[in-house]
Amino acid sequence: MIKGLSRRQTLRGALGVAAVLAATPHRGFAASKTLNILAHRVHQNSLTTGPAGDLTKAWRDANDANCEWATFDTNPLQDRLFREASLDRTDFGVGFLVNSRATTAAASLLHPLDAYQSSAPIEDFADIAPGLVSAMRFDGKLVSVPFRHATIGLFYNEALLEEQGIKAPPKSLEELVDQAKKLTFRSSAGTPVTGMVLASDLTVFPVTFARAFGGDFIGPDLKLVPDPAALEKALATLADLFKSGTLPRTYATTSNDDQVTWLQQGRAAFTVLPFARFAQLNRQDQSKYPGKIKAIEFPASQSLQGRMSSVVEFWAMSIPANARDKDLAWNFIRAMSSKAVTTGAARNGNGPVRVSTYSDPGFAADQPLAAVEARALAGARVPLPAFPEAARAQTIFNEEVQLTVLGRKTPKEGVAAIIERVKPLLAS
Amino acid sequence: MPAAVRGAGARLSRLGATLPFLAPAQLLVLTVIVLPALHIIWLSLSTSTFGKAPVFVGLANYIHVFGDTYFWRALANTIIIVLVVVHVELLLGLGMALLFASGLPARRLLLAAVLAPYAVSEVSAAVIWRFLFDPDAGPVTMALHALGLPGFEWSVDPAHGLAIVALLSIWLHLPFTFLIIYAARLAVPEELYEAARIDGASKLQSFRRVTLPLLMPAILLAALFRYIFVFRLFSEVWLMTQGGPARSTDVVAVYLYLEAFRFNAFGTAAATGWIMVMISMILGAGYLWGLRREMRAHAA
Repeated sequence: MIKGLSRRQTLRGALGVAAVLAATPHRGFAASKTLNILAHRVHQNSLTTGPAGDLTKAWRDANDANCEWATFDTNPLQDRLFREASLDRTDFGVGFLVNSRATTAAASLLHPLDAYQSSAPIEDFADIAPGLVSAMRFDGKLVSVPFRHATIGLFYNEALLEEQGIKAPPKSLEELVDQAKKLTFRSSAGTPVTGMVLASDLTVFPVTFARAFGGDFIGPDLKLVPDPAALEKALATLADLFKSGTLPRTYATTSNDDQVTWLQQGRAAFTVLPFARFAQLNRQDQSKYPGKIKAIEFPASQSLQGRMSSVVEFWAMSIPANARDKDLAWNFIRAMSSKAVTTGAARNGNGPVRVSTYSDPGFAADQPLAAVEARALAGARVPLPAFPEAARAQTIFNEEVQLTVLGRKTPKEGVAAIIERVKPLLAS
Repeated sequence: MPAAVRGAGARLSRLGATLPFLAPAQLLVLTVIVLPALHIIWLSLSTSTFGKAPVFVGLANYIHVFGDTYFWRALANTIIIVLVVVHVELLLGLGMALLFASGLPARRLLLAAVLAPYAVSEVSAAVIWRFLFDPDAGPVTMALHALGLPGFEWSVDPAHGLAIVALLSIWLHLPFTFLIIYAARLAVPEELYEAARIDGASKLQSFRRVTLPLLMPAILLAALFRYIFVFRLFSEVWLMTQGGPARSTDVVAVYLYLEAFRFNAFGTAAATGWIMVMISMILGAGYLWGLRREMRAHAA
């Protein structure tokens, strides 16, 4: 009876339980070490869930360590990483860094990795796309190891194309515009379909359209709008799509997640997203059109001479310079960069940064887009190079694009404003 | 010993006895409000970003903010939203309080319905409103079209964008204003209305001569709180329009957020923060001055 328990009995009981627990062989209820990781949800998912399973398990078992993931959207994630790295000490061992935020100032907050790479090297490091690795070197020092690339492709709903009698996806930008207009209709399921859905708060989409005409926003040599006429054509095309109702009325407030949802629900026929979204778009439990959403390289304009550069963004793993346990962090980065984990993460939906992953027969057989993605990646470039005011420049660019697409500026005025307003930021 | 010295000694001794009880609260205020505020003042006087040591620049950040057209547009939007939201809320809150006080059937059920939006998180509310007012396929848009009315183009037209943000804010926070005014209305003694009736006052005269003067302190209090809260408005704008289209629905808090967390310009963000504090203090000063005058009048 609980009521009859004396204080002495309670104390004896507690001591007894403690003695039994101490005598029981250690079963490892908790790992002895914890690695705190600052990441985007997509990084955690590609390493822990999917057809290839939890790829961190072997590393956790071997190192008697736990992974504690703190995940954020891109901007808050970069802010938190830099904020943690600015403190005297941080418990976060690994932080994911996106290419557009990898500036010299940001690099000064990260631990140089060359010494680790010499003493405990990553397997076949040369296999990791050299262009991505070089973007993570500052003053000759490697500060981050590429983990994920997101190369942009054109996704389409094959079922909707068939419903409108379109036999094949477009081969040129002009054909894409025609098909998208034709695909703005009410489907047999009763859903109002818009030809195309794009998020308006991301620079990659207008840059993709600009490159389809041979233009760009900021070139690799920091040249601002190298071909104004090409950018004007791109903005005119987007404005025409909006005016004709082929882009939704919510264009100016559409987010990246909306693009996925709209395509999955059959509310849009085309969108532009990283190839790595293929699995998500076709998920049985989420999509109304599983297996019907396909992707191709974004088609260039018929007027473009030569090959179009796809847009690629990439993430890399870094160690804050003030991290408490850098050895454990490097150990993790090294393991997650191995060939086997890279291939496994790719099967889980990651964009693999190793060239060899695409030639892996098992992977190529599993991933219908492997060949297309490899071809697009071969000529891909980041949407704009990193520089201190890159975030402000992107915001200005997006604002001017929105004004032009909504019809409040002509393409010529929009491009002129972009040049005038972004130029001082490049000089600083 | 002179009486003055004895009095000062007693006061000192009383202070010594009470200080340990007050110290924890004072320490808390010092650590969570005063020190961070001083740090923000220092930040506002320097240029600072990640990976670079702060450099003292005097008032340059304030000059930069006051010279930035985005700031003035954000301030203008904020003022419009504050004026619309606070005054519409006060009118609706007052009307509803009078309606409830006059005796309604199923009062408890209706009260629960009126207070319900206050229990809804801002994120959930914004998601629901985005769905309802979707310009392509939202039920409200469909209903408006069915009635032959134009749709609500909040993602295209800045005026519509501001309007939907104001409507959402009113919907979410009306219960707060209503509760304050309703509680004050319930506290008005019925004898006063009875006396007014005996004196031959009409309903309108009762309202003007009895209800309104007695509710005025509560109305002013609700107005003060809502002025300050709405001036800091962020989530409704960020979740509905993200300041778009083309930053045309930015408010001051969104401007500050972008400076701090997207552009990492901590100097201008801190200066904006202090400008917001100053404006809030000006908004509150009138009310506090009135309150002080009233207290003195009562004490006299």
